[in-house]
Amino acid sequence: MDLHGSTVEFRNVKRTFGTVKALDDFSLTIKPGELVTLLGPSGCGKTTALRILAGIDKEHEGIVEIDGKDMSQVPANKRNIGMVFQAYSLFPNMTAIENVAYGLRVRGVDSHKRESRARELLDLVGLSTQADRRPTQLSGGQQQRVALARALAIEPSVLLLDEPLSALDAQVRAQLREEIRRIQSTIGISTLFVTHDQEEAMAISDRVGVMNKGVLEQIDEPGKLYNKPRTPFVAGFVGLTNYIPAVTESKSLVLVLSQSLEISDHSPAVKKGDEVRALIRPEEFEVQKADEGATVITKSFLGPVTRLGIDVGTPDLIYAEITSKEAKKIDTGDFVRLSISSDAVMIEHV
Amino acid sequence: MKRKFTAFDKVIIAFAAFFFIAPLIAAAEYSARGYGDKGHTFANYSWIVHQLGFSPALLTSLRIAAITILIVLVLMVPTVVYVHLGGRRYRRLVEILCLLPIVIPVVSLAIGAQVAMPKSLQSTSYELCFFYVVVAMPYVYRTLDIGLQSVALSTLVEASQSLGADWFKTLTMVIIPAIRSSTTGALFITFALSLGEYTLAVLLHFHTFPTWATNVSQQNIYGSIAISVTTLGGAWIFLIVIAFIPRIKSLFAQRKRVA
Amino acid sequence: MVIADELTSPIPTRGGRGTSRSTPKFKFDKSLLGLLPLFLFLGYFLLYPIASIISASIHDNKHHLTLSLYGNLFSGNYRDAFTGSFKLAFYSMIVSGIAGALICWSVVKTTGVVRTITSSAAGVLANTGGVPLAFMFIAAFGQEGLITKLLLHVFHWDLYGGSFDLYNFWGILLVYCFFQIPLMVIIFTPALENLRVEWIEANESLGGTKFQYFRHVLIPVLLPSFLSACLLLFASAFSAFATAAAMSNGSIPLVPLFIGNLVNGNVIAGQENQGDAMAMGMVIVSLFVIAAYLLLLRVTRKR
Ligand SMILES: Nc1ncnc2c1ncn2[C@@H]1O[C@H](COP(=O)(O)OP(=O)(O)O)[C@@H](O)[C@H]1O
Ligand SMILES: [Mg+2]
Repeated sequence: MDLHGSTVEFRNVKRTFGTVKALDDFSLTIKPGELVTLLGPSGCGKTTALRILAGIDKEHEGIVEIDGKDMSQVPANKRNIGMVFQAYSLFPNMTAIENVAYGLRVRGVDSHKRESRARELLDLVGLSTQADRRPTQLSGGQQQRVALARALAIEPSVLLLDEPLSALDAQVRAQLREEIRRIQSTIGISTLFVTHDQEEAMAISDRVGVMNKGVLEQIDEPGKLYNKPRTPFVAGFVGLTNYIPAVTESKSLVLVLSQSLEISDHSPAVKKGDEVRALIRPEEFEVQKADEGATVITKSFLGPVTRLGIDVGTPDLIYAEITSKEAKKIDTGDFVRLSISSDAVMIEHV
Repeated sequence: MKRKFTAFDKVIIAFAAFFFIAPLIAAAEYSARGYGDKGHTFANYSWIVHQLGFSPALLTSLRIAAITILIVLVLMVPTVVYVHLGGRRYRRLVEILCLLPIVIPVVSLAIGAQVAMPKSLQSTSYELCFFYVVVAMPYVYRTLDIGLQSVALSTLVEASQSLGADWFKTLTMVIIPAIRSSTTGALFITFALSLGEYTLAVLLHFHTFPTWATNVSQQNIYGSIAISVTTLGGAWIFLIVIAFIPRIKSLFAQRKRVA
Repeated sequence: MVIADELTSPIPTRGGRGTSRSTPKFKFDKSLLGLLPLFLFLGYFLLYPIASIISASIHDNKHHLTLSLYGNLFSGNYRDAFTGSFKLAFYSMIVSGIAGALICWSVVKTTGVVRTITSSAAGVLANTGGVPLAFMFIAAFGQEGLITKLLLHVFHWDLYGGSFDLYNFWGILLVYCFFQIPLMVIIFTPALENLRVEWIEANESLGGTKFQYFRHVLIPVLLPSFLSACLLLFASAFSAFATAAAMSNGSIPLVPLFIGNLVNGNVIAGQENQGDAMAMGMVIVSLFVIAAYLLLLRVTRKR
């Protein structure tokens, strides 16, 4: 089975509920065959974006295009979009295979064809032996597989997944996530995936878009998002970050933990003497044993690295990650000296 | 996510509200009439209270309700708790038994009572208490069962005993507090049922409040309609108040926190 | 619990099995003792009375064993009573089932105060109905009632112009709707609350029309719960006594009223036990209806 990947484009889409801006000037392009993830805290507008693309929500400004065709006059049931929901979306009166075949049934495909096609898809998601079970007789993970097969059965031009894994156990979640990615790239379907779990987003996507209060703050490849966040929100939401009180020394320099550092490009404008917070990742610290200074309070072994919780006199502990080999020399209660190894740091206003 | 509330729903609700409220209003209007068309008055309402037999009938009903509640407390609560603790394997059996009264029409039960019960019992209105327990049993069982399921009683008891509590402490500090709210619910159902039950009372010839209210209709139809309006309206308002109590409570709690 | 598992599951549980398998004979279980009070109570106040009716219903007044009392139920007044009750229960099941389901459809979408008011109203009308409801009706729809007058003066519709009479079949049916519809709302609510918006949206995204959603999803999903709720309505209307007794001063042949009459001593000489056969007749009808209800419920639970 080969689907041609479609191009999807949101242009300046706006959607408000009363006074809440669920989507604010939202623009996004999904390239053919690409898997793009929308990542953000609950209520930031991810589902809204998905529903607008699916045509379920039509009260929006701006333009949605699929393969260059304006969708505003196309109703949801003519858009040919596959959708997988968080949970409970299988029709309870139908067996797994009947669920998968439903899209073909409403299209008037004859029963022979739709059954063989549904079997093919159940095979693809590894459920060929469960074809005649009802949804309640399937585990949560199996239900989501059936939902995926059902969405793919109509050979959609785009696949939408709205937090499809968040109702599952951690183990099933990790496994199914890999499988979704495998199936998606095998058939080469353009996919919009929604989640609030950054690890999930990083693991599965070609590109991740981070959303905050209806605004798409940054969209980039996972590595870039982590290493080159363009806003304080992105820096804080993606990966673990320390927020350390600091004072600016000039428009371009900031004093953090008595170290003078350059302010990164994407930081807000400041003047000399502003009180700010510096955002510093755990692995950006170097930790050396000392006779006095900061105290190590916690120490947690994370495999190749070890995370230290260090009291430097700020309200919160500072977390630093060093190689577990180096960490052997340091124990809780020891005094250490912290230094920041990065060239430029991101700051935000307090 | 809620399904959409459409204009169709508004029409249905409005229609239903009219269908159900209009007769109540009409009856209220009727009950405020007097013999001889002298305008509207509350006389029929004060008439109720001054009527011969009012307080004895009400007292009988209250007494019956109290004893019924007592039997439910002594019989049903321990049984259901027991099934949830030790006799778990008999859960299905007890469930079937307790739901059995649903199948028996109350009229048939009344005939059976007349045929089977000894004369000594039939001569006192306390006979009703036992049969009210039977009639209420399915609802009481359901309420208690659902309530106890949600507190996972046997786990609580194991935890309490593993923490070193003896049986008495477990009973007073764990079991009783855990079953309190479902017990209250079950007793409430029992109370409402025994106050309003008509069929058994009239067929077994006892004078309870509902049978009295029906009898007086022969003397003063306006008065008996006043009773009906009071009963239905009162029960409705009572239920609404009960439903709002948690909200009012939380309102007070918030006030305190602010203050 | 190991023993419970052994009773119900064909798969051996871990450990502690050997001894009980070698003694297949029924062994008295001490924990049954805790249920003794319930057994005694139900035995005396439910099973014993029913057994007495059964026994009385198969004996004639000369204490000979006979089934003729049951035979009588298929002729004359008795048959009329059963057909009357069937007709009333059936009509009110249809009307209240459909109207109640529609109202329920809208009520489950409401929230907050509206929900509280509607659901408590349903509770009151469905449960404390009976006699007060009958009187409310007499007041509202009687010859002098406000609604009758309203219909006449505002809508120029003379309620009593045709065959309507508060005390005939149609009047009783109307009154029954006033507790049967709320009852339907109460029973049907859980089924509607289990509906999911995701099904509507899944249907749409899969290319289905609204009609196809109704036909392939909504109706098949709701039908078993709807039918089982209707059966409960039937059972409730079939055995309802209070409203009918207060409304119909005996003018309509209904089984509960008939039995009520017999209980009150209006017995035809030589047929003293006929009331017992009728009461059993009601139990049997009710048994069938509830059995069908349980069967349907199992279909829905399997989902
Ligand atoms: N039907 C609706 N009515 C009112 N507000 C809504 C509705 N749907 C979403 N919202 C609001 O829009 C915002 C974005 O919602 P949503 O897209 O569901 O967030 P997410 O999926 O990222 O958790 C939220 O603030 C939410 O409260
Ligand atoms: Mg969402």
